[in-house]
Amino acid sequence: MSLVITGYTATSALGCGVECIQGSILGNHSGLRKNDFPGCDLETWIGRVSALETTLLPRHLEHLDSRNNRLTWLGLQQDGFLASVFELIDRIGVDRIGVVMATSTSSIGRTEEAYMHLDDSGLFPAKYCQPEVHNLHSPGIFVAEATGLTGPSLTISTACSSSAKVFATASRWINHGLVDAVLVGGIDSLCLSILYGFNSLELLSPGPCRPFDIRRDGISIGEAAGFALLVRKDLAPEAEFELLGYGESSDAYHMSHPHPEGKGAVLAMEQSLKRADLSASSIEYINLHGTASKANDLVESYALSQLFPTQTLASSTKGWTGHTLGAAGILETVMTLESMKHGLLPGTLNCEHPDPEFKFPILTENTQKPIRIAMMNSFGFGGNNASLIFGRLDD
Amino acid sequence: MTDLDIVGIGIWSPFFPDWPAFCDGINNGNWQSDAPLQPGLIPPRERRRAPQSVKMAVEVLDQACSMASVNPASAATVFSSAMGDMQITDYLCRVLVAPPRLVSPTRFHNSVHNATTGYWSITRNSHAPTSAISALSYSASMAFLEAAVQATEEDLPVLMVSQEMAAPAALGAICPSVNPISLALLLSKPGLFSAALATFRFGIQRKSADWPALHPDLDEPFKGNFGSGLLPLLAAIASTSSVPSNVPASFEFPLSKDACLTVSLKDRENVGAQL
Repeated sequence: MSLVITGYTATSALGCGVECIQGSILGNHSGLRKNDFPGCDLETWIGRVSALETTLLPRHLEHLDSRNNRLTWLGLQQDGFLASVFELIDRIGVDRIGVVMATSTSSIGRTEEAYMHLDDSGLFPAKYCQPEVHNLHSPGIFVAEATGLTGPSLTISTACSSSAKVFATASRWINHGLVDAVLVGGIDSLCLSILYGFNSLELLSPGPCRPFDIRRDGISIGEAAGFALLVRKDLAPEAEFELLGYGESSDAYHMSHPHPEGKGAVLAMEQSLKRADLSASSIEYINLHGTASKANDLVESYALSQLFPTQTLASSTKGWTGHTLGAAGILETVMTLESMKHGLLPGTLNCEHPDPEFKFPILTENTQKPIRIAMMNSFGFGGNNASLIFGRLDD
Repeated sequence: MTDLDIVGIGIWSPFFPDWPAFCDGINNGNWQSDAPLQPGLIPPRERRRAPQSVKMAVEVLDQACSMASVNPASAATVFSSAMGDMQITDYLCRVLVAPPRLVSPTRFHNSVHNATTGYWSITRNSHAPTSAISALSYSASMAFLEAAVQATEEDLPVLMVSQEMAAPAALGAICPSVNPISLALLLSKPGLFSAALATFRFGIQRKSADWPALHPDLDEPFKGNFGSGLLPLLAAIASTSSVPSNVPASFEFPLSKDACLTVSLKDRENVGAQL
């Protein structure tokens, strides 16, 4: 069954909504800044959403307050996205639309705060007793409550592949007839666990990350919220984009290092090509995982070399946004759809000298080129991989 | 509505370390009180370092695959837990209260929700898809639904895990889980494996439902536990008493305030009696 995308939006360090994405890419303007996250003195750069500091939840959602849920709320307001959700609700009903969210750390920032304020008996003070916030499903609960959707709802948390996998789950739900549409999305916000955690693994770059550059020395952590409406094609004949394929796999190698030959990455890409019934040569552009960690970029370029002809254009956008972890899949999906819409392929910001060890050429400069079929990769800890293929429909 | 087989079951808690022990409890009232957790699949040296969430999940996944004689590398996995590894969450939040905020790198990479399926795929050398989800109080029913839909749509066996750890003191007020529990079901399309424990039909209904009552002996230790919701289904499969005198063969598991998952057991082997 064909599935189409009728609305999408993303908010990241580049700003709120998709217009900021185009502007930043055209101007080669990164959203990364020197770390100024409160309570964190690490020497690194971060992709912080500036507007988040003045975002408050409406009264009816205040009981769900957390930085992550504020980012979710801010993200839902952009690009007329909520209006397209309500329009779809009017047509097919609140119970025929599922909610599949993704996150790596959910609202743990709020839990960290609660631990800083434990009472004398070692328990959460009343203000922090929010059972619907301190858990991994907090994004799904918030989105269902903010939109009124009553279809099945869950939150996927498979580290950095989370919000690519939402498209796989949503496809199965729609194909099975559980629902006719799914609101998919991913949200991750800056928190101490992530900053100090990645620091402990020595994976943070002291400067802005440089994906695929020979001098790359680690990742820059970012925060983002992104959403899309995946709908049965017969319900949305005017849609601009369709989901052509998805692939999911496991490395079966190591908890935090990718498989040296990129086995899981290759399997995920192969599976998405097979589902889309496409040859590798028909993929015109790939938005890479490209975190700027030593290992990821080397392995990903090797994985590409096993499948794609070298003229396939491929870049990482993490130099603009940072690595937004559980939100990376949806943010980079939205960036990929925008690339197809405007015919502007982003280069790999901060990649000045591509590592000569790479087996596959990386697109370093922005390139104007109309394309119809693109792939998006997300790989995560635990060796969890996902690959998606999107197509632009005829105008 | 779709038919699927349950071809393997794994279960662990301090009261029943495996499926035979669970059947013994259901049929004879013989419950243990302090059963150890020693997943044979994880080498002893690794076992000390592996977090409890991983040990629980790997143990029940291994049990389910062994029962079905299924090569684990052929099955996808859907892991579910409302709260994830609460011991690691508790550790991270305590370390981060004040400088120097030195986080253990091993505990950090084990903090991802999919550490369970990551270890499982590494231990079994499985490249099959794995997912890790939460739906808070509906985690067990949503994981069952997710796995059943995947098994139906993608024509491959799917392992599902419903798990919750005991909440550390500070998290007690927001999570009602007092005792740890993990259970795994291996679901597949009928006919893929000869020995099905039960065949069932599943679907969604637009109506509210309460969680089915737990076995009286299990009510006190597991009431309100986010990982215990499917125990009545397992109890029905384990029970040797005749159907339908005291065991319902049809279940409604809540998915939200106004929807539920229906699971109707069509036929089942008298599993408990064979053990």
